[in-house]
Amino acid sequence: MSDAILQRYHRQSRRNALLVGVLALAALAALLLDLVTGPAGLPLADTLRALTGGEVTRGTQVIVWDVRLPVACMALLVGAALALAGAEMQTVLENPLAEPFTLGVSSSAALGAAVAIVLGLTVPGLPPVWSVSGNAFLFALGALGLLQLLGRIRGGGPEVLILFGVALNFTAAALLSLLQFVASADALQQLVFWTMGSLASAQWPGVVLIGVVLVVAVPFSFRAAWKLTALRLGEDQAKSFGVDVTGLRRWTLLRVSLLAASAVSMVGVIGFVGLAGPHIARMLVGENHRVFLPASLLTGALVMSLASTLSKTLVPGVLLPVGLVTSLIGLPIFFALILRGRRR
Amino acid sequence: MTLTRPLLAALALIASFGSAVADVVATDILGRVVHLPEPARHIVLGEGRHLTVLGLIHDDPVSLVTGWRLDKALDEPTMQAYREKFPDIDEIRPVGSGNRDISAEAIIALHPDLVVLTLIDQGDPGMEVARQQIEAAGIPVAYVDFFSHPQENSIPSLQILGKLIGAEERAEEFADFYEARLARIRDRLAAPDITRPRVFFHVHAAPQSCCSTVGTGVFHDFITTAGGQNIGNDTVKGVLGNVSLEYLIGADPDVYIATGGTHMAVRGGLVLGSGVDADTAQASFDKLISAPGFSSLRAVEEGRVAGVWHLFNDSPVHIALIEYLAKTFHPDLFQDVDPAATLAEINARFLPVTVPGTWWVTPEQ
Repeated sequence: MSDAILQRYHRQSRRNALLVGVLALAALAALLLDLVTGPAGLPLADTLRALTGGEVTRGTQVIVWDVRLPVACMALLVGAALALAGAEMQTVLENPLAEPFTLGVSSSAALGAAVAIVLGLTVPGLPPVWSVSGNAFLFALGALGLLQLLGRIRGGGPEVLILFGVALNFTAAALLSLLQFVASADALQQLVFWTMGSLASAQWPGVVLIGVVLVVAVPFSFRAAWKLTALRLGEDQAKSFGVDVTGLRRWTLLRVSLLAASAVSMVGVIGFVGLAGPHIARMLVGENHRVFLPASLLTGALVMSLASTLSKTLVPGVLLPVGLVTSLIGLPIFFALILRGRRR
Repeated sequence: MTLTRPLLAALALIASFGSAVADVVATDILGRVVHLPEPARHIVLGEGRHLTVLGLIHDDPVSLVTGWRLDKALDEPTMQAYREKFPDIDEIRPVGSGNRDISAEAIIALHPDLVVLTLIDQGDPGMEVARQQIEAAGIPVAYVDFFSHPQENSIPSLQILGKLIGAEERAEEFADFYEARLARIRDRLAAPDITRPRVFFHVHAAPQSCCSTVGTGVFHDFITTAGGQNIGNDTVKGVLGNVSLEYLIGADPDVYIATGGTHMAVRGGLVLGSGVDADTAQASFDKLISAPGFSSLRAVEEGRVAGVWHLFNDSPVHIALIEYLAKTFHPDLFQDVDPAATLAEINARFLPVTVPGTWWVTPEQ
């Protein structure tokens, strides 16, 4: 009997490891696809030659290295960060709806961006190109900091955190509307586009920044994987395994704050990925966080990378805001997955 | 990145050596020096409407333009008028990327020899990134401005374009024409005892949902130059803002000016401009000033009221609008000034294409 269970476990582990591998390959393929598509219609050979350092014209060189590559890398990393943040949030808050959006991180970031765009208030000393991102980052981080603080006052249970998160969301949204109301037409337009999410102004320093955040956060995430798996069985269960649930929640939220804030501040409000990425991963590999977390990260990267490609190819010559693409294209797939999952 | 940076720096250095012998050097409206090896022949316009500005100084502006940001390109009647003379206008490639952004990739792929951006684009982070990428590909970028500060910048901008396309003489000719007309207005308004009427400028005018007006910027400058006081400036901070009908009635302006265009047809507002006949313009204007609230304004009762085309901005042709406003504000001082004749002269002497339309309207006598 126990042998059979063990065998099934091993079989499932192998299957999950394989799935994670497939996801990684798919994400890599999506990145390549993103790199070889664009309005310039460069021949594939030229693009590949530029990528491998071969002889190409200066224009091609700039298109591939300065225009496409930062955008493609940014898409991949932002998707990874958002989905990983969403996955961990859903676990520590014991709520399948938790994600940077529902907890007010995205609207706070948008509020920060609005303060820069509309009021011109920015972090002193920051170069103008970074003023909007800088503000968005500070506000997003501030929102999650406030959430932690309020949660600690009221005991830090998951319901309390979620309620505070929702309240923060509405507060930021109301203040954002107020700023939109007083904004000049030009500023308003800039702000509206920012809130739709855009990869167009991705630059290397931003890519590096979010890369560094991921490199720092991911090992901690993966190290906490078994504790998170235990927490998924319920708070009491986790405590009986000796997990310091309050500490786990605090550290996870800190990590998640950094991931979500840096992602949102770079590209604006991106819906869907933080919520649905983890759910898709869960449907594929289940609840064991040792595979669930990497699978979420890779799903997010894959979805964003595909969205990035679609955003420039759906309407030729127009770069659709990527936040719209993730939601409008991603949601039907998500619906289908949920329906299929229920039938099984 | 670590490898490309020094490479780009080296290329920039080589480019700057090359520029020492460049034929074309101009300082753009931001004070940036722009070098071209020869006058530009393949231009990408960040602002599609600037095609007609190029038309002021070149007989075939369409042949100069390889790409343009399409969302704000020419309105349909203007397009049609240009298309009849220059069928190649449909070959101009769109380089837009959404509403305000441009696609650096699409521009670089067109291999233009010059990209012309407008002052509003400066400071927009997305546009800054695109500009850096375009310049990194070795394509010069020049900023001009016919919109944000039309009076200070229009003629210098036209001269910059003149230099960059090798049409300096034509640009000078237009500059002389423009400045003579502007000087006539300024000279006559120089006397300190002239009373400047209080003007309400109702932009995108429609009888319902009164009223968008202008605080600063383009139209405010036009009003001031034409010898009026913009009362919107007291209440509206920034370029555009809303006031209520009650405010308008309470403010009791001496002159009421409405702006409109074909875009106002769907909103039941003032329709005039390119492709609009005089009867249509008159009917929509009459409907506007006979609407409740507007009809009881003192300015309307005294007949000190007019409708003007909104899209006079973004081209130095706005000199005709300034003349029109001056004449409306100070009929005695500018009796001999004929803005319609000014427009006709611009069409005859400078522009390659005459667009039909109705540009202003007053109450029926």
